[in-house]
Amino acid sequence: MKRIYAFEDKCLGCGLCEVYCRTAHSKSKDIIKAHKEENIVSGISIEEIMSPKSAFYFALQCRHCKDPKCVKACISGAMYKDENDIVRNNKDKCVACLSCVLVCPFGAIKKNTDGKAVSKCDLCVEVGSPVCVENCPNEAIKLLDEDSEILK
Amino acid sequence: MKYLIIGDSAAGVNAAQTIRSKDKEGLITILSNESIAAYGRPLISYYLSGKVLPENIFYRNKNFYKKEKINLFLNTQAQEIDVKNKKVNAAQKEFEYDKLLIASGSLPLIPQIKNLKEQKNVFTFLTFDESRKIKESINPDSKVVIAGAGLIGLKAAEGLYGKVAKITVIDLADRVMASVLDKSAADIIQNHIEKKGIEFILNKSVAEVEGGEKVEKIILSDAKTLDCDIFIIAVGVRPNISLAKNAQIRTSKGIIVNEYMQTSESDIYAAGDCVESLDLISNESKVLALWPNAVSQGETAGANMAGEKKLVPSSFAMNAISFFGMQLISAGIIGGSDADIYVDKNGDKLRRLNIANDNLIGFVLINDNQRAGIYTALINDRVKLSELEYDIKLKDIGLNVYTKEKRRDKIFGKEE
Ligand SMILES: Cc1cc2nc3c(=O)[nH]c(=O)nc-3n(C[C@H](O)[C@H](O)[C@H](O)COP(=O)(O)OP(=O)(O)OC[C@H]3O[C@@H](n4cnc5c(N)ncnc54)[C@H](O)[C@@H]3O)c2cc1C
Repeated sequence: MKRIYAFEDKCLGCGLCEVYCRTAHSKSKDIIKAHKEENIVSGISIEEIMSPKSAFYFALQCRHCKDPKCVKACISGAMYKDENDIVRNNKDKCVACLSCVLVCPFGAIKKNTDGKAVSKCDLCVEVGSPVCVENCPNEAIKLLDEDSEILK
Repeated sequence: MKYLIIGDSAAGVNAAQTIRSKDKEGLITILSNESIAAYGRPLISYYLSGKVLPENIFYRNKNFYKKEKINLFLNTQAQEIDVKNKKVNAAQKEFEYDKLLIASGSLPLIPQIKNLKEQKNVFTFLTFDESRKIKESINPDSKVVIAGAGLIGLKAAEGLYGKVAKITVIDLADRVMASVLDKSAADIIQNHIEKKGIEFILNKSVAEVEGGEKVEKIILSDAKTLDCDIFIIAVGVRPNISLAKNAQIRTSKGIIVNEYMQTSESDIYAAGDCVESLDLISNESKVLALWPNAVSQGETAGANMAGEKKLVPSSFAMNAISFFGMQLISAGIIGGSDADIYVDKNGDKLRRLNIANDNLIGFVLINDNQRAGIYTALINDRVKLSELEYDIKLKDIGLNVYTKEKRRDKIFGKEE
Protein backbone atom coordinates (compact mmCIF):
# COMPACT_ATOMS: atom_id res chain seq x y z
CA MET A 1 0.00 0.00 0.00
CA LYS A 2 1.05 3.60 -0.57
CA ARG A 3 1.68 5.70 2.51
CA ILE A 4 2.98 9.16 3.23
CA TYR A 5 6.54 9.35 4.51
CA ALA A 6 8.26 12.28 6.17
CA PHE A 7 11.88 13.20 5.52
CA GLU A 8 13.07 15.33 8.36
CA ASP A 9 16.27 16.47 6.64
CA LYS A 10 14.10 18.29 4.13
CA CYS A 11 11.33 19.68 6.30
CA LEU A 12 11.41 23.45 6.77
CA GLY A 13 8.62 23.44 9.32
CA CYS A 14 6.66 25.89 7.18
CA GLY A 15 3.28 24.38 8.04
CA LEU A 16 1.84 24.50 4.53
CA CYS A 17 0.90 20.82 4.79
CA GLU A 18 -1.29 21.61 7.78
CA VAL A 19 -2.90 24.54 5.98
CA TYR A 20 -3.73 22.47 2.90
CA CYS A 21 -4.93 19.55 5.00
CA ARG A 22 -7.40 21.74 6.89
CA THR A 23 -8.62 23.34 3.70
CA ALA A 24 -9.10 20.03 1.89
CA HIS A 25 -11.09 18.69 4.83
CA SER A 26 -13.29 21.79 5.19
CA LYS A 27 -16.80 22.18 3.89
CA SER A 28 -16.04 25.38 2.04
CA LYS A 29 -12.70 24.22 0.53
CA ASP A 30 -11.73 27.85 0.91
CA ILE A 31 -8.41 28.49 2.60
CA ILE A 32 -9.60 31.59 4.50
CA LYS A 33 -13.02 30.29 5.50
CA ALA A 34 -11.59 26.93 6.54
CA HIS A 35 -9.25 28.62 8.98
CA LYS A 36 -11.41 31.50 10.17
CA GLU A 37 -14.82 29.89 10.37
CA GLU A 38 -14.56 26.12 10.33
CA ASN A 39 -11.95 25.49 12.99
CA ILE A 40 -10.66 22.25 11.50
CA VAL A 41 -8.07 20.02 13.11
CA SER A 42 -5.31 19.08 10.70
CA GLY A 43 -4.59 15.41 10.10
CA ILE A 44 -0.90 16.17 9.73
CA SER A 45 1.22 18.06 12.25
CA ILE A 46 4.67 19.47 12.36
CA GLU A 47 6.86 18.46 15.25
CA GLU A 48 9.95 20.34 16.26
CA ILE A 49 13.26 18.83 17.33
CA MET A 50 15.35 21.20 19.35
CA SER A 51 19.07 20.73 19.09
CA PRO A 52 21.72 22.91 20.72
CA LYS A 53 22.41 24.81 17.52
CA SER A 54 19.11 24.96 15.67
CA ALA A 55 15.65 23.45 15.33
CA PHE A 56 14.67 20.66 12.97
CA TYR A 57 11.19 19.65 11.92
CA PHE A 58 9.22 16.75 10.61
CA ALA A 59 5.60 16.30 9.57
CA LEU A 60 3.63 13.37 10.85
CA GLN A 61 0.24 11.85 10.24
CA CYS A 62 -1.54 8.51 10.62
CA ARG A 63 0.71 5.65 9.50
CA HIS A 64 -2.25 3.49 8.44
CA CYS A 65 -0.68 0.64 10.40
CA LYS A 66 -1.03 -2.93 9.18
CA ASP A 67 -2.43 -3.95 12.53
CA PRO A 68 -3.91 -0.69 13.79
CA LYS A 69 -4.18 -0.37 17.55
CA CYS A 70 -6.76 2.41 17.19
CA VAL A 71 -9.19 0.11 15.38
CA LYS A 72 -8.89 -2.47 18.15
CA ALA A 73 -9.32 0.08 20.90
CA CYS A 74 -12.36 1.76 19.34
CA ILE A 75 -15.34 1.12 21.60
CA SER A 76 -17.95 2.09 19.03
CA GLY A 77 -16.76 0.50 15.80
CA ALA A 78 -16.22 3.96 14.29
CA MET A 79 -12.54 3.42 13.49
CA TYR A 80 -12.04 0.91 10.69
CA LYS A 81 -9.71 -0.20 7.94
CA ASP A 82 -11.40 0.27 4.58
CA GLU A 83 -11.13 -2.00 1.54
CA ASN A 84 -7.97 -0.14 0.46
CA ASP A 85 -6.32 -0.59 3.86
CA ILE A 86 -6.84 3.06 4.77
CA VAL A 87 -7.64 3.57 8.44
CA ARG A 88 -10.73 5.77 8.60
CA ASN A 89 -13.10 7.12 11.22
CA ASN A 90 -16.87 7.20 10.82
CA LYS A 91 -17.88 10.48 12.48
CA ASP A 92 -21.51 9.38 12.90
CA LYS A 93 -20.41 6.57 15.19
CA CYS A 94 -17.46 8.25 16.92
CA VAL A 95 -18.22 9.52 20.46
CA ALA A 96 -14.75 11.07 21.01
CA CYS A 97 -13.94 8.76 23.93
CA LEU A 98 -10.29 9.04 22.80
CA SER A 99 -9.50 5.35 23.22
CA CYS A 100 -7.72 5.68 19.86
CA VAL A 101 -5.66 8.61 21.17
CA LEU A 102 -4.77 6.47 24.18
CA VAL A 103 -3.22 3.76 22.02
CA CYS A 104 -1.84 5.46 18.90
CA PRO A 105 1.94 5.09 19.31
CA PHE A 106 2.51 7.99 16.90
CA GLY A 107 0.22 10.48 18.58
CA ALA A 108 -1.39 10.94 15.18
CA ILE A 109 -5.06 11.17 16.20
CA LYS A 110 -6.57 14.32 17.64
CA LYS A 111 -9.83 15.41 19.16
CA ASN A 112 -11.91 17.71 16.99
CA THR A 113 -12.48 21.24 18.18
CA ASP A 114 -16.20 20.53 18.61
CA GLY A 115 -15.29 17.61 20.89
CA LYS A 116 -17.71 15.29 19.10
CA ALA A 117 -15.30 13.13 17.15
CA VAL A 118 -11.64 12.61 16.41
CA SER A 119 -9.68 13.59 13.34
CA LYS A 120 -6.93 11.85 11.50
CA CYS A 121 -5.34 11.56 8.10
CA ASP A 122 -7.53 9.73 5.58
CA LEU A 123 -4.95 9.97 2.78
CA CYS A 124 -7.37 12.42 1.13
CA VAL A 125 -9.49 9.57 -0.24
CA GLU A 126 -12.31 11.94 -0.98
CA VAL A 127 -10.09 14.58 -2.55
CA GLY A 128 -8.10 12.31 -4.84
CA SER A 129 -4.48 12.52 -3.83
CA PRO A 130 -2.92 13.80 -0.59
CA VAL A 131 -2.82 17.60 -0.63
CA CYS A 132 -0.02 17.76 1.93
CA VAL A 133 2.30 15.91 -0.42
CA GLU A 134 1.27 17.95 -3.43
CA ASN A 135 1.80 21.26 -1.71
CA CYS A 136 5.00 20.60 0.19
CA PRO A 137 7.51 23.09 -1.23
CA ASN A 138 10.57 21.00 -0.43
CA GLU A 139 9.50 17.37 -1.01
CA ALA A 140 9.74 16.66 2.71
CA ILE A 141 6.67 14.45 2.56
CA LYS A 142 6.18 11.87 -0.15
CA LEU A 143 3.57 9.33 -1.12
CA LEU A 144 5.46 6.09 -1.59
CA ASP A 145 4.96 2.38 -1.84
CA GLU A 146 5.90 0.73 1.42
CA ASP A 147 8.65 -1.28 -0.28
CA SER A 148 10.07 1.75 -2.06
CA GLU A 149 13.90 1.89 -2.38
CA ILE A 150 14.39 5.21 -0.57
CA LEU A 151 12.85 3.78 2.58
CA LYS A 152 15.53 1.12 2.89
CA MET B 1 -14.54 -27.26 10.92
CA LYS B 2 -17.26 -26.15 13.33
CA TYR B 3 -16.46 -23.06 15.37
CA LEU B 4 -18.82 -22.12 18.17
CA ILE B 5 -18.62 -18.85 20.10
CA ILE B 6 -20.53 -17.98 23.27
CA GLY B 7 -20.98 -14.22 23.51
CA ASP B 8 -21.45 -11.67 20.74
CA SER B 9 -19.43 -8.69 21.86
CA ALA B 10 -15.88 -7.32 21.64
CA ALA B 11 -14.13 -10.67 22.10
CA GLY B 12 -16.66 -12.87 20.28
CA VAL B 13 -17.08 -10.69 17.19
CA ASN B 14 -13.35 -10.18 16.69
CA ALA B 15 -12.70 -13.88 17.14
CA ALA B 16 -15.31 -14.72 14.52
CA GLN B 17 -13.95 -12.14 12.11
CA THR B 18 -10.39 -13.42 12.54
CA ILE B 19 -11.46 -17.03 12.06
CA ARG B 20 -13.25 -16.07 8.84
CA SER B 21 -10.16 -14.27 7.51
CA LYS B 22 -8.21 -17.53 7.88
CA ASP B 23 -10.84 -20.17 7.17
CA LYS B 24 -13.24 -19.26 4.38
CA GLU B 25 -15.27 -22.46 4.62
CA GLY B 26 -15.64 -23.30 8.31
CA LEU B 27 -19.01 -23.07 10.01
CA ILE B 28 -19.03 -20.17 12.48
CA THR B 29 -21.85 -19.86 15.00
CA ILE B 30 -22.27 -17.23 17.71
CA LEU B 31 -24.70 -17.64 20.60
CA SER B 32 -25.89 -14.52 22.39
CA ASN B 33 -28.37 -14.19 25.21
CA GLU B 34 -28.95 -10.55 24.26
CA SER B 35 -31.76 -9.27 22.07
CA ILE B 36 -29.70 -7.27 19.56
CA ALA B 37 -26.47 -7.89 17.63
CA ALA B 38 -23.12 -6.71 19.02
CA TYR B 39 -23.03 -3.07 20.05
CA GLY B 40 -20.46 -0.80 21.62
CA ARG B 41 -21.16 -1.76 25.22
CA PRO B 42 -19.60 1.47 26.54
CA LEU B 43 -22.11 3.35 24.37
CA ILE B 44 -25.14 2.40 26.45
CA SER B 45 -24.76 5.63 28.45
CA TYR B 46 -24.73 7.63 25.21
CA TYR B 47 -27.87 5.80 24.13
CA LEU B 48 -29.46 6.69 27.48
CA SER B 49 -28.65 10.39 27.04
CA GLY B 50 -29.73 10.33 23.41
CA LYS B 51 -26.28 11.33 22.10
CA VAL B 52 -26.01 8.11 20.14
CA LEU B 53 -28.98 7.08 18.06
CA PRO B 54 -30.07 3.44 18.37
CA GLU B 55 -29.04 2.75 14.77
CA ASN B 56 -25.49 3.96 15.47
CA ILE B 57 -24.87 1.79 18.51
CA PHE B 58 -24.09 -1.35 16.51
CA TYR B 59 -20.46 -2.45 16.51
CA ARG B 60 -20.54 -3.70 12.94
CA ASN B 61 -22.54 -2.88 9.79
CA LYS B 62 -25.95 -4.39 9.27
CA ASN B 63 -24.67 -6.89 6.71
CA PHE B 64 -21.60 -7.95 8.73
CA TYR B 65 -22.82 -11.39 9.86
CA LYS B 66 -24.15 -12.24 6.43
CA LYS B 67 -21.06 -11.07 4.64
CA GLU B 68 -18.75 -13.00 6.96
CA LYS B 69 -21.06 -16.02 6.92
CA ILE B 70 -21.53 -16.04 10.67
CA ASN B 71 -24.69 -17.65 12.08
CA LEU B 72 -25.84 -15.46 14.93
CA PHE B 73 -28.40 -16.84 17.38
CA LEU B 74 -29.83 -14.01 19.49
CA ASN B 75 -31.86 -14.57 22.69
CA THR B 76 -30.04 -17.89 23.03
CA GLN B 77 -28.57 -18.71 26.41
CA ALA B 78 -25.83 -21.35 26.43
CA GLN B 79 -26.69 -23.47 29.43
CA GLU B 80 -24.06 -26.13 29.58
CA ILE B 81 -20.85 -27.21 27.87
CA ASP B 82 -20.68 -30.94 27.27
CA VAL B 83 -16.91 -31.29 26.96
CA LYS B 84 -16.95 -35.02 26.31
CA ASN B 85 -19.37 -34.88 23.38
CA LYS B 86 -18.21 -31.44 22.20
CA LYS B 87 -21.63 -29.85 22.42
CA VAL B 88 -23.17 -26.79 23.96
CA ASN B 89 -26.72 -27.06 25.18
CA ALA B 90 -29.14 -24.18 24.91
CA ALA B 91 -32.82 -24.23 25.88
CA GLN B 92 -34.25 -25.47 22.58
CA LYS B 93 -31.21 -26.61 20.73
CA GLU B 94 -27.81 -28.27 20.85
CA PHE B 95 -24.77 -26.85 19.12
CA GLU B 96 -21.84 -29.05 18.16
CA TYR B 97 -18.30 -27.74 17.96
CA ASP B 98 -14.78 -28.68 17.02
CA LYS B 99 -13.41 -25.48 18.56
CA LEU B 100 -15.29 -23.51 21.18
CA LEU B 101 -14.72 -19.95 22.43
CA ILE B 102 -16.13 -18.74 25.72
CA ALA B 103 -16.49 -14.96 25.44
CA SER B 104 -19.16 -14.55 28.06
CA GLY B 105 -17.85 -11.26 29.47
CA SER B 106 -18.77 -9.76 32.79
CA LEU B 107 -21.70 -9.89 35.15
CA PRO B 108 -22.61 -7.08 37.52
CA LEU B 109 -21.47 -7.42 41.11
CA ILE B 110 -24.41 -7.23 43.48
CA PRO B 111 -23.44 -6.18 47.00
CA GLN B 112 -25.12 -7.45 50.15
CA ILE B 113 -27.96 -5.02 50.82
CA LYS B 114 -30.73 -5.81 53.27
CA ASN B 115 -34.17 -6.27 51.64
CA LEU B 116 -32.77 -6.08 48.14
CA LYS B 117 -34.83 -8.41 45.95
CA GLU B 118 -35.72 -7.96 42.33
CA GLN B 119 -37.70 -4.78 42.92
CA LYS B 120 -39.06 -3.20 39.76
CA ASN B 121 -37.00 -0.03 39.98
CA VAL B 122 -33.64 -1.68 40.63
CA PHE B 123 -31.29 -1.82 37.68
CA THR B 124 -27.73 -2.67 36.76
CA PHE B 125 -25.95 -0.93 33.88
CA LEU B 126 -24.19 -3.43 31.67
CA THR B 127 -26.43 -4.04 28.70
CA PHE B 128 -28.43 -2.24 26.06
CA ASP B 129 -31.66 -3.80 27.37
CA GLU B 130 -30.92 -2.56 30.87
CA SER B 131 -30.22 0.95 29.54
CA ARG B 132 -33.46 0.86 27.54
CA LYS B 133 -35.43 -0.20 30.62
CA ILE B 134 -33.94 2.67 32.62
CA LYS B 135 -34.79 5.06 29.81
CA GLU B 136 -38.41 3.87 29.89
CA SER B 137 -38.66 4.10 33.68
CA ILE B 138 -37.40 7.62 34.33
CA ASN B 139 -39.32 10.89 34.28
CA PRO B 140 -38.29 14.49 35.01
CA ASP B 141 -39.28 14.07 38.68
CA SER B 142 -37.25 10.89 39.28
CA LYS B 143 -34.80 10.78 42.14
CA VAL B 144 -32.02 8.44 41.09
CA VAL B 145 -29.58 6.79 43.46
CA ILE B 146 -26.50 5.12 41.98
CA ALA B 147 -24.39 2.77 44.10
CA GLY B 148 -20.83 2.94 42.81
CA ALA B 149 -18.69 5.88 41.64
CA GLY B 150 -16.55 3.86 39.28
CA LEU B 151 -16.58 4.13 35.50
CA ILE B 152 -19.98 2.48 35.06
CA GLY B 153 -21.73 4.41 37.86
CA LEU B 154 -20.40 7.75 36.63
CA LYS B 155 -21.31 6.91 33.05
CA ALA B 156 -24.86 6.07 34.18
CA ALA B 157 -25.00 9.44 35.95
CA GLU B 158 -23.84 11.22 32.81
CA GLY B 159 -26.42 9.38 30.70
CA LEU B 160 -29.22 10.44 33.04
CA TYR B 161 -28.09 14.03 33.46
CA GLY B 162 -30.78 16.56 32.58
CA LYS B 163 -33.48 13.89 32.35
CA VAL B 164 -34.25 13.41 36.04
CA ALA B 165 -34.76 15.61 39.14
CA LYS B 166 -31.87 14.37 41.24
CA ILE B 167 -28.87 12.08 40.94
CA THR B 168 -26.95 10.88 44.00
CA VAL B 169 -23.86 8.68 43.67
CA ILE B 170 -22.70 6.64 46.66
CA ASP B 171 -19.35 4.91 47.07
CA LEU B 172 -17.52 3.14 49.83
CA ALA B 173 -14.18 4.59 48.71
CA ASP B 174 -13.02 8.11 49.57
CA ARG B 175 -12.94 9.13 45.90
CA VAL B 176 -14.44 8.51 42.47
CA MET B 177 -12.85 5.98 40.07
CA ALA B 178 -10.90 4.60 43.02
CA SER B 179 -9.39 1.70 41.11
CA VAL B 180 -7.90 3.98 38.46
CA LEU B 181 -7.16 7.33 40.10
CA ASP B 182 -5.36 8.69 43.12
CA LYS B 183 -7.16 11.22 45.29
CA SER B 184 -5.89 14.40 43.63
CA ALA B 185 -6.85 13.28 40.13
CA ALA B 186 -10.17 11.91 41.38
CA ASP B 187 -10.97 15.26 43.02
CA ILE B 188 -10.69 17.09 39.70
CA ILE B 189 -13.19 14.70 38.12
CA GLN B 190 -15.52 14.80 41.13
CA ASN B 191 -15.55 18.63 41.31
CA HIS B 192 -16.32 18.83 37.63
CA ILE B 193 -19.27 16.44 37.94
CA GLU B 194 -20.52 18.12 41.12
CA LYS B 195 -20.74 21.41 39.25
CA LYS B 196 -23.45 19.77 37.15
CA GLY B 197 -25.54 19.28 40.28
CA ILE B 198 -24.79 15.60 40.82
CA GLU B 199 -24.35 14.77 44.50
CA PHE B 200 -21.68 12.44 45.88
CA ILE B 201 -21.79 10.59 49.18
CA LEU B 202 -18.38 8.97 49.71
CA ASN B 203 -16.98 6.69 52.41
CA LYS B 204 -20.48 5.19 52.76
CA SER B 205 -22.27 2.16 51.44
CA VAL B 206 -25.91 1.23 50.94
CA ALA B 207 -26.95 -0.91 53.91
CA GLU B 208 -30.64 -1.42 53.33
CA VAL B 209 -33.52 -0.59 51.03
CA GLU B 210 -37.16 0.02 52.00
CA GLY B 211 -40.40 -0.12 50.09
CA GLY B 212 -42.78 -2.64 48.55
CA GLU B 213 -42.76 -3.59 44.90
CA LYS B 214 -40.40 -0.72 44.39
CA VAL B 215 -37.49 0.57 46.42
CA GLU B 216 -38.60 3.87 47.97
CA LYS B 217 -35.87 4.62 50.47
CA ILE B 218 -32.16 3.92 50.63
CA ILE B 219 -30.56 3.55 54.05
CA LEU B 220 -26.83 4.21 54.19
CA SER B 221 -24.20 2.64 56.42
CA ASP B 222 -24.37 5.70 58.69
CA ALA B 223 -28.19 5.32 58.96
CA LYS B 224 -28.86 8.38 56.82
CA THR B 225 -31.78 7.86 54.40
CA LEU B 226 -32.42 9.00 50.84
CA ASP B 227 -35.64 9.04 48.82
CA CYS B 228 -35.33 6.89 45.72
CA ASP B 229 -37.38 6.30 42.57
CA ILE B 230 -34.68 4.57 40.56
CA PHE B 231 -31.85 2.55 42.10
CA ILE B 232 -28.88 1.65 39.91
CA ILE B 233 -26.30 -0.83 41.17
CA ALA B 234 -22.89 -0.17 39.62
CA VAL B 235 -20.39 -1.29 42.21
CA GLY B 236 -18.32 -3.32 39.79
CA VAL B 237 -18.23 -6.36 37.57
CA ARG B 238 -17.06 -9.94 37.92
CA PRO B 239 -16.02 -12.41 35.24
CA ASN B 240 -18.88 -14.59 34.00
CA ILE B 241 -17.28 -17.99 34.50
CA SER B 242 -20.13 -20.30 35.52
CA LEU B 243 -20.28 -22.16 32.19
CA ALA B 244 -16.56 -22.86 32.33
CA LYS B 245 -16.60 -23.77 35.99
CA ASN B 246 -19.47 -26.21 35.61
CA ALA B 247 -17.60 -27.88 32.77
CA GLN B 248 -14.57 -28.36 35.07
CA ILE B 249 -12.47 -25.93 33.07
CA ARG B 250 -9.77 -24.32 35.21
CA THR B 251 -10.87 -21.05 36.73
CA SER B 252 -9.75 -18.77 39.49
CA LYS B 253 -11.26 -15.28 39.59
CA GLY B 254 -11.54 -15.56 35.83
CA ILE B 255 -11.07 -18.41 33.39
CA ILE B 256 -7.41 -19.48 33.24
CA VAL B 257 -5.90 -19.42 29.76
CA ASN B 258 -2.43 -19.79 28.29
CA GLU B 259 -0.76 -17.31 25.93
CA TYR B 260 -2.79 -18.72 23.03
CA MET B 261 -6.05 -18.05 24.91
CA GLN B 262 -6.54 -21.77 25.34
CA THR B 263 -8.22 -23.07 28.50
CA SER B 264 -7.36 -26.26 30.37
CA GLU B 265 -9.44 -28.07 27.71
CA SER B 266 -7.40 -27.90 24.51
CA ASP B 267 -10.34 -27.35 22.13
CA ILE B 268 -11.90 -24.70 24.30
CA TYR B 269 -10.63 -21.12 24.23
CA ALA B 270 -11.70 -18.11 26.27
CA ALA B 271 -11.22 -14.37 25.77
CA GLY B 272 -12.27 -10.97 27.07
CA ASP B 273 -13.70 -9.92 30.41
CA CYS B 274 -14.26 -13.53 31.52
CA VAL B 275 -10.54 -14.48 31.59
CA GLU B 276 -7.49 -13.60 33.63
CA SER B 277 -4.63 -11.99 31.72
CA LEU B 278 -1.02 -11.50 32.60
CA ASP B 279 -0.53 -7.87 33.57
CA LEU B 280 2.65 -6.57 31.90
CA ILE B 281 3.50 -4.21 34.73
CA SER B 282 2.79 -6.21 37.87
CA ASN B 283 3.44 -9.58 36.21
CA GLU B 284 0.36 -10.89 38.00
CA SER B 285 -2.62 -12.72 36.60
CA LYS B 286 -5.49 -10.22 36.65
CA VAL B 287 -8.93 -9.65 35.23
CA LEU B 288 -8.58 -6.65 32.90
CA ALA B 289 -12.17 -5.88 32.00
CA LEU B 290 -11.49 -3.48 29.16
CA TRP B 291 -12.71 -3.26 25.60
CA PRO B 292 -9.33 -3.10 23.76
CA ASN B 293 -8.11 -6.08 25.74
CA ALA B 294 -11.21 -8.10 24.83
CA VAL B 295 -10.69 -7.25 21.14
CA SER B 296 -7.01 -8.32 21.11
CA GLN B 297 -7.73 -11.50 23.02
CA GLY B 298 -10.66 -12.33 20.75
CA GLU B 299 -8.43 -11.91 17.69
CA THR B 300 -5.74 -14.08 19.22
CA ALA B 301 -8.20 -16.80 20.21
CA GLY B 302 -9.73 -16.72 16.72
CA ALA B 303 -6.36 -17.07 15.00
CA ASN B 304 -5.40 -20.03 17.17
CA MET B 305 -8.79 -21.69 16.76
CA ALA B 306 -8.27 -21.47 13.00
CA GLY B 307 -4.98 -23.32 13.34
CA GLU B 308 -2.39 -20.53 13.61
CA LYS B 309 0.02 -20.16 16.49
CA LYS B 310 -0.47 -16.62 17.70
CA LEU B 311 0.66 -15.21 21.04
CA VAL B 312 -1.59 -12.81 22.84
CA PRO B 313 -0.23 -9.22 22.96
CA SER B 314 0.83 -7.92 26.35
CA SER B 315 -1.80 -6.09 28.31
CA PHE B 316 -2.17 -3.68 31.17
CA ALA B 317 -4.91 -1.44 32.47
CA MET B 318 -5.76 1.53 30.28
CA ASN B 319 -8.72 3.77 29.83
CA ALA B 320 -9.96 6.80 27.96
CA ILE B 321 -13.24 8.28 29.07
CA SER B 322 -14.94 11.62 29.22
CA PHE B 323 -17.33 12.85 31.85
CA PHE B 324 -19.36 15.91 30.93
CA GLY B 325 -16.70 17.02 28.49
CA MET B 326 -13.79 16.46 30.86
CA GLN B 327 -11.31 14.07 29.33
CA LEU B 328 -9.55 11.41 31.34
CA ILE B 329 -6.86 9.18 29.86
CA SER B 330 -4.91 6.77 31.99
CA ALA B 331 -2.78 3.66 31.67
CA GLY B 332 -0.63 1.44 33.81
CA ILE B 333 -0.67 1.68 37.56
CA ILE B 334 -1.46 4.52 39.92
CA GLY B 335 1.76 4.09 41.83
CA GLY B 336 3.00 3.02 45.21
CA SER B 337 5.52 4.56 47.56
CA ASP B 338 8.90 3.89 45.98
CA ALA B 339 7.86 5.00 42.56
CA ASP B 340 8.76 8.42 41.35
CA ILE B 341 5.56 10.31 40.81
CA TYR B 342 5.61 13.47 38.84
CA VAL B 343 2.59 15.78 38.82
CA ASP B 344 1.99 18.76 36.58
CA LYS B 345 -1.30 20.35 37.62
CA ASN B 346 -2.89 23.49 36.37
CA GLY B 347 -6.53 24.11 37.26
CA ASP B 348 -8.57 21.46 35.52
CA LYS B 349 -5.54 20.08 33.72
CA LEU B 350 -3.40 17.30 35.08
CA ARG B 351 -0.46 15.28 33.85
CA ARG B 352 0.70 12.65 36.29
CA LEU B 353 3.54 10.30 35.41
CA ASN B 354 4.52 7.29 37.42
CA ILE B 355 8.15 6.35 36.86
CA ALA B 356 10.08 3.46 38.38
CA ASN B 357 13.54 2.12 37.55
CA ASP B 358 13.91 4.30 34.49
CA ASN B 359 10.57 3.06 33.07
CA LEU B 360 7.24 4.77 32.73
CA ILE B 361 4.77 2.46 34.47
CA GLY B 362 1.65 4.58 34.56
CA PHE B 363 0.13 7.94 33.67
CA VAL B 364 -3.01 9.99 34.14
CA LEU B 365 -3.92 12.85 31.86
CA ILE B 366 -6.92 15.06 32.50
CA ASN B 367 -7.89 17.52 29.77
CA ASP B 368 -4.44 17.04 28.31
CA ASN B 369 -4.78 14.36 25.74
CA GLN B 370 -2.57 15.14 22.79
CA ARG B 371 -0.35 12.21 21.86
CA ALA B 372 -1.21 10.18 24.96
CA GLY B 373 -0.51 7.02 22.94
CA ILE B 374 3.20 7.78 22.95
CA TYR B 375 3.18 7.43 26.75
CA THR B 376 1.25 4.18 26.36
CA ALA B 377 3.89 2.93 23.92
CA LEU B 378 6.67 3.85 26.37
CA ILE B 379 4.98 1.63 28.96
CA ASN B 380 4.21 -1.16 26.52
CA ASP B 381 7.69 -1.28 24.99
CA ARG B 382 9.37 -0.86 28.41
CA VAL B 383 11.47 1.93 26.97
CA LYS B 384 14.38 3.09 29.11
CA LEU B 385 13.63 6.74 29.73
CA SER B 386 17.31 7.66 29.98
CA GLU B 387 17.73 6.64 26.34
CA LEU B 388 15.23 9.20 25.11
CA GLU B 389 16.02 12.60 23.65
CA TYR B 390 14.58 14.55 26.57
CA ASP B 391 13.18 14.17 30.05
CA ILE B 392 9.50 13.33 29.56
CA LYS B 393 8.64 15.11 32.80
CA LEU B 394 9.76 18.44 31.46
CA LYS B 395 7.70 18.85 28.32
CA ASP B 396 4.75 17.57 26.35
CA ILE B 397 5.39 14.28 24.66
CA GLY B 398 5.94 13.90 20.91
CA LEU B 399 7.53 11.44 18.54
CA ASN B 400 10.54 13.75 18.83
CA VAL B 401 11.24 12.04 22.15
CA TYR B 402 12.86 9.16 20.26
CA THR B 403 16.32 9.32 18.76
CA LYS B 404 16.56 10.10 15.08
CA GLU B 405 17.16 6.47 14.04
CA LYS B 406 14.38 5.12 16.19
CA ARG B 407 11.97 7.76 14.94
CA ARG B 408 12.86 6.99 11.34
CA ASP B 409 12.28 3.29 11.89
CA LYS B 410 8.90 4.05 13.38
CA ILE B 411 7.80 6.45 10.66
CA PHE B 412 9.12 4.21 7.89
CA GLY B 413 7.19 1.26 9.29
CA LYS B 414 10.28 -0.81 10.07
CA GLU B 415 8.86 -1.95 13.38
CA GLU B 416 5.68 -3.44 11.94
C1 LIG C 1 -21.34 1.41 30.81
C2 LIG C 1 -20.02 0.81 30.44
C3 LIG C 1 -18.98 1.63 30.01
C4 LIG C 1 -17.75 1.07 29.67
N1 LIG C 1 -16.77 1.90 29.22
C5 LIG C 1 -15.59 1.39 28.83
C6 LIG C 1 -14.57 2.22 28.29
O1 LIG C 1 -14.74 3.43 28.17
N2 LIG C 1 -13.40 1.66 27.91
C7 LIG C 1 -13.19 0.31 28.03
O2 LIG C 1 -12.11 -0.16 27.67
N3 LIG C 1 -14.13 -0.51 28.51
C8 LIG C 1 -15.33 -0.01 28.92
N4 LIG C 1 -16.29 -0.85 29.41
C9 LIG C 1 -15.97 -2.30 29.53
C10 LIG C 1 -16.18 -3.02 28.21
O3 LIG C 1 -17.48 -2.82 27.76
C11 LIG C 1 -15.89 -4.52 28.37
O4 LIG C 1 -14.55 -4.68 28.76
C12 LIG C 1 -16.13 -5.30 27.08
O5 LIG C 1 -17.47 -5.20 26.70
C13 LIG C 1 -15.74 -6.77 27.23
O6 LIG C 1 -16.07 -7.48 26.08
P1 LIG C 1 -16.34 -9.05 26.09
O7 LIG C 1 -16.57 -9.43 24.68
O8 LIG C 1 -15.28 -9.74 26.84
O9 LIG C 1 -17.65 -9.26 26.98
P2 LIG C 1 -19.06 -8.55 27.05
O10 LIG C 1 -19.06 -7.27 26.32
O11 LIG C 1 -19.45 -8.54 28.48
O12 LIG C 1 -19.99 -9.56 26.25
C14 LIG C 1 -20.29 -10.85 26.64
C15 LIG C 1 -21.55 -11.28 25.97
O13 LIG C 1 -21.82 -12.65 26.22
C16 LIG C 1 -23.18 -12.81 26.54
N5 LIG C 1 -23.33 -14.05 27.32
C17 LIG C 1 -22.85 -14.30 28.55
N6 LIG C 1 -23.17 -15.55 28.94
C18 LIG C 1 -23.85 -16.11 27.91
C19 LIG C 1 -24.46 -17.39 27.72
N7 LIG C 1 -24.41 -18.33 28.65
N8 LIG C 1 -25.08 -17.62 26.54
C20 LIG C 1 -25.14 -16.67 25.58
N9 LIG C 1 -24.58 -15.45 25.72
C21 LIG C 1 -23.96 -15.17 26.87
C22 LIG C 1 -23.50 -11.55 27.31
O14 LIG C 1 -24.86 -11.27 27.41
C23 LIG C 1 -22.78 -10.53 26.46
O15 LIG C 1 -23.55 -10.12 25.37
C24 LIG C 1 -17.54 -0.33 29.77
C25 LIG C 1 -18.59 -1.16 30.21
C26 LIG C 1 -19.81 -0.61 30.54
C27 LIG C 1 -20.92 -1.52 30.99
